[in-house]
Amino acid sequence: MNTDQLHQEIKEANLSYMLLARQMIQEDKAAAIFRLGISQEMAELIAGLSSAQLLKMAASNMLLCRFRFDEKLLLNMITDYNKNRLMSQAHATILMTGQSVEALAA
Amino acid sequence: MRNKSVVTEAYQIQIAVDLIKLGARLQLLQEETALSRERLLKLYKEVRGGSPSKGMLPYSTDWFMSWSPNIHSSLFMDIHQFLLKHTSLTGVEALIKSYGLYLEQINASGDEPILSVTRAWFLVRFFDAQMLQLTGCTECGGHFIAHANGLYAGYVCGICRPPSRAGKTKRNAATSSLLDISVAN
Repeated sequence: MNTDQLHQEIKEANLSYMLLARQMIQEDKAAAIFRLGISQEMAELIAGLSSAQLLKMAASNMLLCRFRFDEKLLLNMITDYNKNRLMSQAHATILMTGQSVEALAA
Repeated sequence: MRNKSVVTEAYQIQIAVDLIKLGARLQLLQEETALSRERLLKLYKEVRGGSPSKGMLPYSTDWFMSWSPNIHSSLFMDIHQFLLKHTSLTGVEALIKSYGLYLEQINASGDEPILSVTRAWFLVRFFDAQMLQLTGCTECGGHFIAHANGLYAGYVCGICRPPSRAGKTKRNAATSSLLDISVAN
């Protein structure tokens, strides 16, 4: 994959991520904050973006979403997956609720 | 208590309907809404199409300590704490939302919920009364339900170190032997 293709893929991923996030927040804010792992302030900001603003944001060459797992959690999920699917999913959720949310810097 | 405001009453009815849909017992509804018992009974029959179950509520902190109830209720409580901390939801609204998210998490992985909404409500009250607390697992760092003021130095949770008989119920044994047969064929 060359750099142009890569940028194109990133833009597409950004756009679908931002559209999904905005829709989730508009439909059910509290559940969206839980699922996205963002602060209330950030959720309100994203929900308030106009489509033009959203398109501009998505056109960035940098990915707008980032990984929510630290190394240990990721390792746990992969190694436990075959043992019991429910347990590894519940475990991942339990660990994610303990993480800090993505918030706007003061 | 008499409701003077129609808007407040509509809100109370909405809360009651949400709770009934989640399977709440009548005592819980009486505690969390200002509606009369007669109205709640009528509402219950309308939503569920039957009378509410009678008898005592499951009042025990020990239930939350055995293996799979502990994991289910820890999952619920962690979601509840997250919502209290990061959203503006409080009280019964936070209970309804976090129980809904708990059900969704469990259903998504194809399991049956063990924690009822009545027990979840009790759980929140046990936390308020400081009878139970969340304790961090030293291996995974997740937070799990434990008795308050217990000694938990080097606590390891039930997922990191399951007890030897964990999850080996009669029902599970039956489904896994069925699986074995279908694999053998």
